[in-house]
Amino acid sequence: MKVKSFQLSLIGAALAATLGTVIAQDKPVIATVVKISGIPWFNRMEVGVKEFASTTPTVIASQSGPATADAAQQLKIIDDLVAKKVSALAVVPMDPAVIEGVLKRAMDRGIVVVTHEADNQKNTNANIEAFDNAAYGTALNEKLAACMGKTGKWTSFVGSLGSRTHLQWVDAGAANAKKYAGMTLVDAKNESFDDANKTYEKAKEVLRKHPDLKGFQSSAGNDVIGIGRAIEEAGLVGKVCLVGTGLPTPSAKLLESGAITAIGFWDPKDAGLAMNKAAKMLLEKKPLTDGINLGVKGYEKVSVTKGPGGGLLLVGNAMVIADKATYKNFLF
Amino acid sequence: MKRDRQLLFLVGINLMVLAVGAFISKGAFVDPYNLQSMAGQLPELGFLAIGVMLAMSSGNGGIDLSGIALANLAGVTSATLVAGWVSTDEAPALFTFLFIGTALCVGLAGGVFNGLLIAKLGLTPILCTLGTQLLYTGLAVVVSGGPSVRVGSAEPLMTIGSGLLLGVPISFLIFGVVALVVGMLLKFSPFGIRLFLMGTNPKAALYAGFSQTKLLVTTYGLSGLLAALAGVLIASRNVNVKWDYGQSYLLIAILITVMAGVKPEGGYGRMICLFLSATALQLLSSMLNFANFSNFFRDCAWGLLLLIFLAISRIDLRNFFRHRAQPV
Repeated sequence: MKVKSFQLSLIGAALAATLGTVIAQDKPVIATVVKISGIPWFNRMEVGVKEFASTTPTVIASQSGPATADAAQQLKIIDDLVAKKVSALAVVPMDPAVIEGVLKRAMDRGIVVVTHEADNQKNTNANIEAFDNAAYGTALNEKLAACMGKTGKWTSFVGSLGSRTHLQWVDAGAANAKKYAGMTLVDAKNESFDDANKTYEKAKEVLRKHPDLKGFQSSAGNDVIGIGRAIEEAGLVGKVCLVGTGLPTPSAKLLESGAITAIGFWDPKDAGLAMNKAAKMLLEKKPLTDGINLGVKGYEKVSVTKGPGGGLLLVGNAMVIADKATYKNFLF
Repeated sequence: MKRDRQLLFLVGINLMVLAVGAFISKGAFVDPYNLQSMAGQLPELGFLAIGVMLAMSSGNGGIDLSGIALANLAGVTSATLVAGWVSTDEAPALFTFLFIGTALCVGLAGGVFNGLLIAKLGLTPILCTLGTQLLYTGLAVVVSGGPSVRVGSAEPLMTIGSGLLLGVPISFLIFGVVALVVGMLLKFSPFGIRLFLMGTNPKAALYAGFSQTKLLVTTYGLSGLLAALAGVLIASRNVNVKWDYGQSYLLIAILITVMAGVKPEGGYGRMICLFLSATALQLLSSMLNFANFSNFFRDCAWGLLLLIFLAISRIDLRNFFRHRAQPV
């Protein structure tokens, strides 16, 4: 079996060589787990996590996330991190319901759990929201209604039917639109799975089905890109309004051309910083009191109330709605 | 022998990943909690992989793409139906029993439907199961309405997914037992022997008088039952079931099967290799998470492992060494 051992030792050497430097250290580890890696939204959040890591040498902070928008894959990553016994987890859940079990196991193991965009998460020490989600959804919808002249058909997009915050925004938007008798909601809650291409295809379908459609309210970070592209291609710029969550730099081109009417967002970098800072405070057993200043822009006076489980609900003040005139103030 | 090479390679990879993982994590990788955690993550995929292996062994391009869709449908249907009739608080044991029973019925029905379409209508398995995958996904959306369905926390059901017996996760034990039973069925029972024969040469099987319909329906029916078991485990571990859970599982299950040496054209497959292949992929995935590698690298690592595995099966490196040793 000389051949077998030669082949195996080759593989072993390769593995050991690449991983030789990766040895666990004794500082507390705060692991951020996002919905999906590699998209602009969470790349920006990683900037925040890295900034936290470099300004806080007493902890090790890093970010990971699944390669696809699949709650099962995120669950596996969290499972392994819990087994690895990190000190704290900062999770942006793809679907809060799916990870309740593993977060409970984490808390039973003494791991601090902080979540973001999941105010229905029971098994968490603290959930951080950038703003009141209903207010955000209403603000987006108001911008859309203003553009649409308060009449016409409109539709909504969400990341997935399990994405808690997206549902809150479009539900608040729908409630707001009821004020205007002329606005009709059709085919609500189309799923985009954070995939700009899929969103583009779906938007085209919706435009084909409703040629008189006048507005879109979208939720996932990449949705405005996909829908904006569909609007541009169909030559409907100026005739169809699009308001949704999106980051300024990726949406710049479509904002300039008018395909996107307005974007709403909060800086994911600040959200990442806020989550990690809150996690560090909980690790140091410092209390999170009402009105606390987390030392992050948009989270200087955070309202702290009781969450649905045994944890806390932190709501910040980081909402931004920008259109063609104002987006240049935010260069990310 | 080619067969032993594959088995030895798989055993070697398992041991190697355990060793490297233990080294980089200062032992945390092999401590009981992590071993239990990994053993608990594995069975959902394992059942789907066994289903794919059964389908592949039947030959004629056999494959089952509808596994995870059927698992989700079984979970969603059971959760919606049984929760409506039985309360999880008042009668947890009855709830668990009915839940598992309903899921298995849905799985069996779905699997038999696949088998009938392939046997009676002569549809190519890949196209047929592609279609039924979409059908089952659609049905799951309709039944659940879209959001995840809460299964409720009936004690017996939760124990199946997260409980331990003598330190080993119960779900892993169930997987082991099922693998053993199906493995013995394939090796020793008339069904198993006929299945592999049919996979090797469908025409000869026809002239030998095997009932193709019965064999195919049994095979895909079994695959459906296994998918339902996967669905039960998913429900038990996550307390919620959703129509689009685990969309990446389809290709991972096929990867596990191919890396176990199962011939895609049919007629050959070893359960022990499948078991080791599943554990190898799970260990590698967890080790990469421990080492903080990007999730994208995991796909790369799996692909590399698959290529090395296929190469080892085909190329006999001994010839290469023999030639080099002799002077020209």
